[in-house]
Amino acid sequence: MKINQIYVNLPVKDIPKTKEFWTNLGFPVNENISDEKAVCFILGENICVMFITEEYFMTFSERPLPNGDTTQVLVALGVDSREEVDKIVNAAVANGATQHEEPQDYGWMYQNSFWDINGHGWNVTFADMSQMPIE
Amino acid sequence: MEITDIYVNLPVKDVQKAREFWTKLGFSINEQFSDEKAICVVMKENHIYTMFLHEDFFKTFTDRPVADGKTTQTLLAIGVNSRDEVDAMVKTATENGGSEYSKPRDHGWMYQWAFADPDGHQWEVMHGDVSQIPSE
Repeated sequence: MKINQIYVNLPVKDIPKTKEFWTNLGFPVNENISDEKAVCFILGENICVMFITEEYFMTFSERPLPNGDTTQVLVALGVDSREEVDKIVNAAVANGATQHEEPQDYGWMYQNSFWDINGHGWNVTFADMSQMPIE
Repeated sequence: MEITDIYVNLPVKDVQKAREFWTKLGFSINEQFSDEKAICVVMKENHIYTMFLHEDFFKTFTDRPVADGKTTQTLLAIGVNSRDEVDAMVKTATENGGSEYSKPRDHGWMYQWAFADPDGHQWEVMHGDVSQIPSE
């Protein structure tokens, strides 16, 4: 079994603010499936994230939304270089996100992370698989 | 900006059970990134992965407590290649400890059905034919 695409759906309080935040990180919006209730960002080929207003999000699940004091998901995004990792996290922090952990450098993998303005957690990583240590 | 790959990280109570469930659904495991604390399910080679991490391990990556399963922070929509694959996945899921939380929805150009996995994470399985999207 394999899938052909993924949409990570996350609830947000404010669509325009969320749209501004992720645009500042450098990602394009798929306007075809965005409106005042949801905005779709194209993170990569066949990888999208939909930010949905809390009211609309609630119509898709019988369970209530968390109030932001727990974590159900952490999303890790792979990019092409260490510079891109820092560029995304620095842009996030400059636009209202909070740094999560200090950057971690494993030699073959470099990682940085932030909580976005809606409290969702993101890891940004660059990995050079050819340098992954063999056990 | 464009990312190269995505790893969706989710907490589970029992890594071995998660392994059995996702293997039954037909996905392969990247053993290089799997151990007793976490498994890496390959959803699309070199591109889309889901890591299921034991709650105790997951906790080390966040300063907030792990969600107790009574709330929803994310809904994961995954596209497959046919309506039959949508149905097959949801049926296999419910036969193996998952649960159906919504009825199939047929929008003509898109067909969708959903299940919650044994740890309560919610998956919206869909098949869309974008050539058939109605123009407004």
